[in-house]
Amino acid sequence: MSMDSTQLLYDIHNGETFGTLIAIYFYLTGLSAGSFIISTLSYGFGFVRFKPLGKIGIVIATLLLVAAPMFLLAHSGQRLRVWHLFVYLRLSSPITWGSFLLILYPINCIIYAFFMFKGNKRLTRIFGLTGIPLALMVHGYTGFILAFGKARPLWNSSIMPLLFLVSAMVSGIAMMMIVSVVRDRFFTKDRVINTDILSGLATMLGWCLVFDLFLTVCEVVVHSISHLGAQESTALLLSGSFAGLFLVVENLVGKVLPMFVMLSPRARRMVPLLLLASVLVMIGIYTMRYNVVVGGEYIPLL
Amino acid sequence: MGREKRFGFLVDLRRCIGCQSCSIACKQEWNVPVGRYRSWVKQVAKGVFPDARKSFLPILCNNCANPICVTVCPVLASYQKPNGIVEIDAHKCIGCRYCMASCPYGVRYLHPDLGIAQKCNWCSHRTESGGQPACVEACPASARIFGDLEDPASEISRRISQNAVQPIKPEMGTNPRAFYIGLDDMTVEVKAHGHELMHLSE
Repeated sequence: MSMDSTQLLYDIHNGETFGTLIAIYFYLTGLSAGSFIISTLSYGFGFVRFKPLGKIGIVIATLLLVAAPMFLLAHSGQRLRVWHLFVYLRLSSPITWGSFLLILYPINCIIYAFFMFKGNKRLTRIFGLTGIPLALMVHGYTGFILAFGKARPLWNSSIMPLLFLVSAMVSGIAMMMIVSVVRDRFFTKDRVINTDILSGLATMLGWCLVFDLFLTVCEVVVHSISHLGAQESTALLLSGSFAGLFLVVENLVGKVLPMFVMLSPRARRMVPLLLLASVLVMIGIYTMRYNVVVGGEYIPLL
Repeated sequence: MGREKRFGFLVDLRRCIGCQSCSIACKQEWNVPVGRYRSWVKQVAKGVFPDARKSFLPILCNNCANPICVTVCPVLASYQKPNGIVEIDAHKCIGCRYCMASCPYGVRYLHPDLGIAQKCNWCSHRTESGGQPACVEACPASARIFGDLEDPASEISRRISQNAVQPIKPEMGTNPRAFYIGLDDMTVEVKAHGHELMHLSE
């Protein structure tokens, strides 16, 4: 008798656990971490070319990080009990790590921004550099949240925190390219778009996309020959209900095509094309968050 | 007195007739909300006529000895008692659903009105004072056996030592404390996908 002659007659599914709200939360923390790192390029590491993005980068990073936990709050079943997170501590839970990171990181952002706007170079640099590990952790921990879901193959992967960090950089840089153009075009006196910054960001984004695609391919290839659950989840992405979102929206339109635009010296000079590619990248990374979070729990456990 | 009990659960699948009495008893005992279940019987059709039969798999919380839900609960709401039962403190839970996301068995749900996670706790209000879980009392085929694993003379200990038993998904490393006689991995592995599943539960 083959496996094919078994058929499910009755089973119970107790409902979605994380869903779209958590996917949006991951997306926003990723954007925040990415734009923070862009902001520190000049103020922390001395790449003067990116100085115009320092202030706007940190303002956006802080705002996004204030907005992101609102989605956690919306997702929580008992919103008035959020203080429990800071009183009853389970140190083995990534959410406990995150509740402190979500406090420390915005505070660091605000202090860093304060000294930047005050013009205190030394302290700006110090708080920029202390913010980088915080920015990495505040997004990296979200990768651990998923990786601890050990029964769900799309989540339970040790490259998940790294993949989340790289995709955070990807979406953050893409957003900063759009922000840079909008700022130059509408909020400066001469209204001249700074193409030097744009092509610098485009090169960075191009190589981050290469790394992101590499990690994604690693994940899919290994899962496709791994245990039964992993094979099922690969099939979901490559030929199942998530194939369109995963192959076309996330990877082809959201990563591969923009990668060619960003890495081509000729295309990199065309501002409208860069803008379009950046928008596609931002859509692609949102789709990635959705595919991982919602796709990861799409296949029932029993 | 003095010796701590260590509770365990055994389902003898050779006896299960798939009548769902356990599911109904559980619903009544705990006032489980509509569309949510702490305990149910998965049903699978195997084979092709005339060589066919229904295969039943009663699902309940395994009250694992190494529970991932306790590891990931950020507010100490999920905790394990010395007798092995994993409980949820209704006053601590913030409804983040991380336990539901990490449980390899999908036996937890979010109560739609209370906004907190709930699950089967082997009727600890009954069993800790010497009683039997509601589902065990309701089972007409005596397929469910509950008892103290530390006591070698208990029925569950004797049955486990005399039969080949296996928990569901032992590879998850959660060390489940619910065991099955005659567990069929084909029945465990058959799954519905997405929208298909919604129809089944309606």
